[in-house]
Amino acid sequence: MDTVSLIDIAGYLPENRVGADYFAQFAASDRLAENIMFRAPKFRHHIASDENAVDMAERAVAPLIERNGSELVSNVDILITHTQLPDVPVLGTGGELARRLGITPDWVVDLHNGGCASFVYMIKLARQIMQTGDASTALIVSVQNSAGQIFTQSDVRVLAQSAVPGDGAGACLLVKSQAGPVLGLECRTYPEFAGDMTAAVDPPRKYWEAGTGQLHIGFTETKIAKVFARGNRLVPEVALAVCKQIGITPDEIDTLVTNQPNRLFLRNWRDALELPAERHPDTFDECGNLFGAAIPVTLDLENQAGRIPNGSLVMMSAFAHAGDFAGAGAIRWGAAPVGV
Amino acid sequence: MTAHEIAPLPDLPADLPGLVRIETSDRHATTPIIMDMLRSVYPHDQVFGKYCTVQEYIDCPPDEVFRYLSHTRSLEEWTYSLRGFTPAGEPGLWLAYDRLGDTTEIYTRTVAHPAAMTVDYHCAWDQGTHLWMVYLMRVVDARTVLDVDGSVVLWTNCRHPFYDENPYPETAPADRVPWVGDFWEMFAAGHQLEMSNLKAICEYRWANDLPVTPTWMSE
Repeated sequence: MDTVSLIDIAGYLPENRVGADYFAQFAASDRLAENIMFRAPKFRHHIASDENAVDMAERAVAPLIERNGSELVSNVDILITHTQLPDVPVLGTGGELARRLGITPDWVVDLHNGGCASFVYMIKLARQIMQTGDASTALIVSVQNSAGQIFTQSDVRVLAQSAVPGDGAGACLLVKSQAGPVLGLECRTYPEFAGDMTAAVDPPRKYWEAGTGQLHIGFTETKIAKVFARGNRLVPEVALAVCKQIGITPDEIDTLVTNQPNRLFLRNWRDALELPAERHPDTFDECGNLFGAAIPVTLDLENQAGRIPNGSLVMMSAFAHAGDFAGAGAIRWGAAPVGV
Repeated sequence: MTAHEIAPLPDLPADLPGLVRIETSDRHATTPIIMDMLRSVYPHDQVFGKYCTVQEYIDCPPDEVFRYLSHTRSLEEWTYSLRGFTPAGEPGLWLAYDRLGDTTEIYTRTVAHPAAMTVDYHCAWDQGTHLWMVYLMRVVDARTVLDVDGSVVLWTNCRHPFYDENPYPETAPADRVPWVGDFWEMFAAGHQLEMSNLKAICEYRWANDLPVTPTWMSE
């Protein structure tokens, strides 16, 4: 079977960098405000009011074109996107992104499940297509754009949860080569946990119907404990499954990159895999919870900083929503910037 | 104060360290503490360092399991290494050999309370006067706690300081190398194996209409 390699990765953060005090000022109580300043990420980036999901996707892809030449990107056979909050409900980002890039891939897929683990899922999907057909190049794009839209609404930004999300996008190029092989992937769907995350509006209505209440993500306190326990379990579990698949022990992981819903998950996951904090970089304090874009954005920042030399064993692992999906993937890194 | 109000503990300072009650630490304050305590993994020493608790479900009625456990000589069957039980002279005291320690003698006295279905084995290596190795077991009706027929068995051992240092070295066989406390770190796994033995024995006998407590044990 042909080896599929990740040859480059890039990220994009919107210019609008928002401090925790933005949310603290709206907090319903002094105690909540204090909590936000103490627990929430120090910063997060918010999508601009005149910016849409395709803009973000295009900006994430731009460095890939710059570094790898427009010809490679122009000829990709596969384009897969994941967009947290599609600009138009019935449309993903792929079609318009392809139009803007001037590309006509055989495969344009707007993946809508996989949530915070969607980057791994998209790599798996692309690799499967490449290994069973003629396609030899893929462009993967992940856009998280809900922070500056959903979570800044006047009735939503007062909630503790609203200080946590941040916007950002990431993209990577996959090609059939030995340059940076994807060694193993494990994606698991847990239907029993589907439906535990809800989009709530009060008074209740369908999200697209006209009305007064503002849409936000609903969790009850009891659900949070259940989701927390699931997340604690799932992310190490799929990472360990990949370790087993490729015949390594977790201590051979040089760089672990996970989704980053909060600090406790980050601590618990590296504890479970017995990795020191320096081998588990995150961008939580600068970017907040980037949902599906967390893995590519963090990988890009670490990579550009020269902290992932070629040959490193990189493990990606994440879980989605309230635990209905988890995915992990290992790469023998080959995308370090020239000179690293 | 009405009878329904929660006791205010007037004799204690409100800020007593270690006291977390809803009056002084409401849910908003306590939830983060609890979330912080919820981990993906827990260090072995944190879970089994000072106390070692194992538990198991057994598909056999609780009174049968209790009766079996309350016989000291059941240890001959379901423990990994205690063998050769004989009366040690004093009423209720038994002498056996722990094959973990070569020819080590182990003394056991069993204290069972039928109403609570607790069975405590008070044991010691080498001598029968200070039984400091205490295995606390409790049989619970699984119908009550799991809504199924059968038993739940809870088993706790506390790390007595003597596990770290033999207080009666003069009673040990001269050529014996190991001390029972050398195995403390293995107790959780070892006790779980023994609990599996207990489960296998009781379930087999019960399922095959055999006496769970063999007749020779009651003789």
